[in-house]
Amino acid sequence: MSTWLAIACVGAITFLLRASFIVFADPQRFPRFFRQALAFVPPAVLAAIVAPGLLIGTAGLDLSWGNHRLAAGLLAIAVAARTRSVLAAIVSGMCALWLLQWAMG
Amino acid sequence: METLTPKQEFIAGSREVAPSLVGTIPFGLVVGVASVGAGLTPFQGVALSVLSFSGIAQLVATQLIAVQSPLAITLAAAFVVSLRLLMYSAALSPHLAHLPVGWRLLISYLMTDQSFAMTVRRYGEPGDRRHKHWQFMGAGMTLFVTWQLAVIVGVLAGAGVPADWSLDFVVVLTFIALLVPVVRTRADLAAALVAGVVALAAAGLPYKLSLVVGSIAGITIAMILDRSHWRSP
Repeated sequence: MSTWLAIACVGAITFLLRASFIVFADPQRFPRFFRQALAFVPPAVLAAIVAPGLLIGTAGLDLSWGNHRLAAGLLAIAVAARTRSVLAAIVSGMCALWLLQWAMG
Repeated sequence: METLTPKQEFIAGSREVAPSLVGTIPFGLVVGVASVGAGLTPFQGVALSVLSFSGIAQLVATQLIAVQSPLAITLAAAFVVSLRLLMYSAALSPHLAHLPVGWRLLISYLMTDQSFAMTVRRYGEPGDRRHKHWQFMGAGMTLFVTWQLAVIVGVLAGAGVPADWSLDFVVVLTFIALLVPVVRTRADLAAALVAGVVALAAAGLPYKLSLVVGSIAGITIAMILDRSHWRSP
């Protein structure tokens, strides 16, 4: 039961955040600092998702060269910065990871 | 200036998001596998997917439901990882204000990182925008159908997807591809770096709180820096 409640609430939250300004409110009516803060949401939230994904391994923080995900991720960042292509970033990162895992075990 | 028909716009939108399916389809598969792995029934996994249509919110929610975290914590985490949707909503709203409310509800429901990115790019281009919302619909429906199918396959395959394919890394790569283009100013860079470092430092916290703490720290620092006009030209 509590699982279904959580599922319904998560659905409601994601929908209300999406619909907030498109359906319910005009962003111009909100104070400037609020709109400024909104602009920083994507870089902050996305980085807070990406950093642990690259640097936290099964045994905790891993900053070594043996961390294949870090190496593959850095390559994907460089490719994304250069090409702006989602496809190129994902393909290069995945191929790099597979290659490193295959070559270094 | 040539005006495209709704059908032409729809097809153009589908084409535009096709390359990102390389990321979203394996991502959906991973999310489906993770939701049954975390203990949701297949039906619950698919219901969560249809209701929230957001990979990261689904992933975070299933992980927190699995450890039986308090409802308020699950919702706070889902809220913070979905905050970017609030920003997308604010950015798109001026372009959609002329549409009837039914259209705006539907577009809201279908809005994802990928369709947002495509739409902002398209609205920035010159031309007649009378039918441009059909382009969003083409992108949104393409992403929705393929996403739900991928989640269903993942839910059914369960543990059948071999771990040594490292498909979960696609999730990180998808977010890298989204992160890089939004870092434009030094304040953006500061937001990203601080959020990343704080999320790492807080990695030991339970309930994925590191995500929440890191995001808030990044936004706060960027606001402070931005206030003092430390912006790149």
